[in-house]
Amino acid sequence: MDEAKHAEIVVIGAGPGGYAAAFRAADLGKQVLLIDRDPELGGVCLNRGCIPSKALLHISKVMDETSHLEKMGVTYGDPEIDLNVVQTHKNKIVSQLNSGIAQLAKARKVETLQGLASFVSNTELKVKTGTGDIPITFNQCIIAAGSTSAMIPGIPSEHPSVLTSRTALDLEDVPERLLVIGGGVIGLEIGQVYATFGSSVSVVEFLPNLLPGTDPDLVKPLQRKLKKQFELILVSSKVTKAELRGDETLTVTIKNDNGTTKEIFNKILVSVGRKPNTGLLNIEATDVKVKKDGFIDVDVYQRTSIKNIFAIGDIVGQPMLAHKATHEGKVAAEVASGHPAAFDVRAIPSVVYTDPEIAWAGLTEINAEENNISYEKGEFSWSASGKATVMGANQGKTKILFDPETKQVLGVGIVGYGAGDMISEGMLAIEMGADAEDISLTVHPHPTLGETFSAAADMFTGTITDLYIPSKKGK
Amino acid sequence: MVKDIILPDLGEGIEGAEVSEVSVETGDTVNPEDTILVLESDKASMEIPAEVNGTVKEISVEPGDELKTGQLIMKIEIVDGSNKKEEPDKRITEENSPADTPQLPILEKMGSTDHVFASPGVRRLARELEINLQIIRGTGLKGRITKNDLHGYIKLQMAMSAGSILPPQPVIDFSQWGDVELQKLTKIKRITGERLQQAWQLIPHVTQFDEADITDLDVLRKKMKTAGTKKGIKVTFLPFLMKALSILLKEMPEFNSSLDHANQNLVIKNYYHLGIAVDTSSGLTVPVVRDVDKKSIYELSEELMDLSIRARNKKLNPDELKGGTFTISSLGGIGGTGFSPIVNPPEVGIMGVSRSVWKNAYDKEAGEFVARYKMPFSLSYDHRVIDGAAAATFTARFSEILLDMSNFKN
Repeated sequence: MDEAKHAEIVVIGAGPGGYAAAFRAADLGKQVLLIDRDPELGGVCLNRGCIPSKALLHISKVMDETSHLEKMGVTYGDPEIDLNVVQTHKNKIVSQLNSGIAQLAKARKVETLQGLASFVSNTELKVKTGTGDIPITFNQCIIAAGSTSAMIPGIPSEHPSVLTSRTALDLEDVPERLLVIGGGVIGLEIGQVYATFGSSVSVVEFLPNLLPGTDPDLVKPLQRKLKKQFELILVSSKVTKAELRGDETLTVTIKNDNGTTKEIFNKILVSVGRKPNTGLLNIEATDVKVKKDGFIDVDVYQRTSIKNIFAIGDIVGQPMLAHKATHEGKVAAEVASGHPAAFDVRAIPSVVYTDPEIAWAGLTEINAEENNISYEKGEFSWSASGKATVMGANQGKTKILFDPETKQVLGVGIVGYGAGDMISEGMLAIEMGADAEDISLTVHPHPTLGETFSAAADMFTGTITDLYIPSKKGK
Repeated sequence: MVKDIILPDLGEGIEGAEVSEVSVETGDTVNPEDTILVLESDKASMEIPAEVNGTVKEISVEPGDELKTGQLIMKIEIVDGSNKKEEPDKRITEENSPADTPQLPILEKMGSTDHVFASPGVRRLARELEINLQIIRGTGLKGRITKNDLHGYIKLQMAMSAGSILPPQPVIDFSQWGDVELQKLTKIKRITGERLQQAWQLIPHVTQFDEADITDLDVLRKKMKTAGTKKGIKVTFLPFLMKALSILLKEMPEFNSSLDHANQNLVIKNYYHLGIAVDTSSGLTVPVVRDVDKKSIYELSEELMDLSIRARNKKLNPDELKGGTFTISSLGGIGGTGFSPIVNPPEVGIMGVSRSVWKNAYDKEAGEFVARYKMPFSLSYDHRVIDGAAAATFTARFSEILLDMSNFKN
């Protein structure tokens, strides 16, 4: 048994939420211990999620863009891909960021410990390390233990031919035929990378639409592009079985209204969502209340049902997004350090880093219909944008949903190049309570994609000059 | 989305009230106009409407509770709200917790910020200062609550609390000199006491005294009284005085105004709602008669009868105590030769009426003394708004109006 430790605040999980919580608490004068089961800090986001996937998506996006240049009179030869170099490049980015976080921890005197933490009581943990169990006592604890890819029955797990978001990003090879199970964000992003690298990609989605929950008008331009890039897109379909064959390929059974088909794939990617890591924590040893679906119940202060135990990020619920975790992590750290912070945000933005990108924040039209929320819409098609035309990004669109009474921004949806970067202006508008006029009257530079945001507001106020809308004239 | 329903401002002078009935139960579906709570103050009994569509999630009060403005009444799950985010459960358990557990502001007390027009930084500052943003009026563009508004609110609170602190007065044992008995101050007495003190300290008061000849008016009133009796309407002098005031306030609008300190404005009101001081068994109350200029003597008489009966039975609705532009206090039925009433803020003037008497007046034309019925009255005013000459003109003109019977024809 190793030497026991005590911490004023212990943080379980060093993902973007966990390290933000640890660093913020340290900055507020607390003695902090940061525990992660990985040797490297940064969690799924940095090591096996956001960052490596964006490294690969960047490559595939540029590859795709060069092919557009043919129409503009510039032709390259077919790309040659050296997977080893791609992997090294990606790993270098990750390790560079890893060491950045480690340095930040060191500078703040945040102690880090590698091992699997499990609760013993409301104030005690034990951490299983390579050299034995270390008992830890704490005044306060912030659980930031994250989530793991969910699997589905009937599919072999732990086999090299069955990829999860984690192993898919290792990009060991480019399979000839890849089946993506689950047409959500992760499946489509990784599917698009593999397709650009040369795989023949098929996607099977259980629900009737790709990116379920996303407004269909935003998904449409992506779907149009995917139809060209992917071999097959099957919605309202279910993979019931995947059997390994002798040559490591798989026979996959797909069921839908048209019947049952069997197809052979070299690899499959299971991306059907993620489940919280609550089960790894021996949380039963505490009085922390866990919801039926495995998420930990928290209040606006990020406190669990036990006042000295906080929880943040994926483990407290949807949306499972790094920026939500970071924000919650800071709130937990501030509250734990005696400051009256609270998770009081009007919206959390979502971004799909496919090509074209999709981003939304606040109210969506689907959401409005489901909850009977009335709204009015300002919408600007990028076909009328000079910058988008220059870039060959005409298929994009920017829309803003307004409160019919106050004309304040309730939600923003963007599809097209750089949507993820542009959504921040929508977020600022939502948090600041900006209305249509405020956006219209804010000068946006020309020519940019960003000006489609004010153009969408102009469409709503009737002050648009880039288009001719007779019905709105004179308003 | 769950909305915190808090006790709204109940009107002038009422800071709190007792719950007499909780009209809904957890799980009930409510419409905006449904009554969720009945309150009883010393002034009135009032029904609090739900104001939202939804299902009652949690009730935080029970009959007998003393409620203050801004206090949480219940939580209602709204069905058609335009809320965008899922609200996390706000439940906070009171488990025994180890060291370092911070004390946090009680969110229930602070109200939800969901529909508040304030930026994230202002919302954070409000949380730190434990200020309920729902009760703050934003002065920013389009009514946005700014950091300055929060600072202003704090300064105002500080000024108000500083003003209300009286030097400690020694407790005297009066029984040492003889027999005494204790009578608890009614709520209405306590509240009017505070308000009167505030008005007295805040407003530079001046009182102008005058006398009006109401000999002819008395004849007209008696005629109308006889006619009114047949209709079951009691016609007193008061409606005539109200009518005359409404005519005069139109002529001299600065008497029908309020000071807006924040913006250095005088707010002139183009409506004529007169507060009528009514003495009840538990104290003074001031119901408001609206649009006096548009009503006939009979209509005013009827309304006055109704208001005074309901005031005495504490059945006034809080809205009926709000929105007055000028007040009239008549002690004519009791006695006195003159008194100086205290202005009822935010109004700037109040008329006090004393007992009318027959006096000998010299009629120069006839060259003889004649008996005239004279009504002594006074005008107290806020000297920041009204100067002495205007006040003297006001009372003189008031007497003139009472001499012209054509003013009371309709």
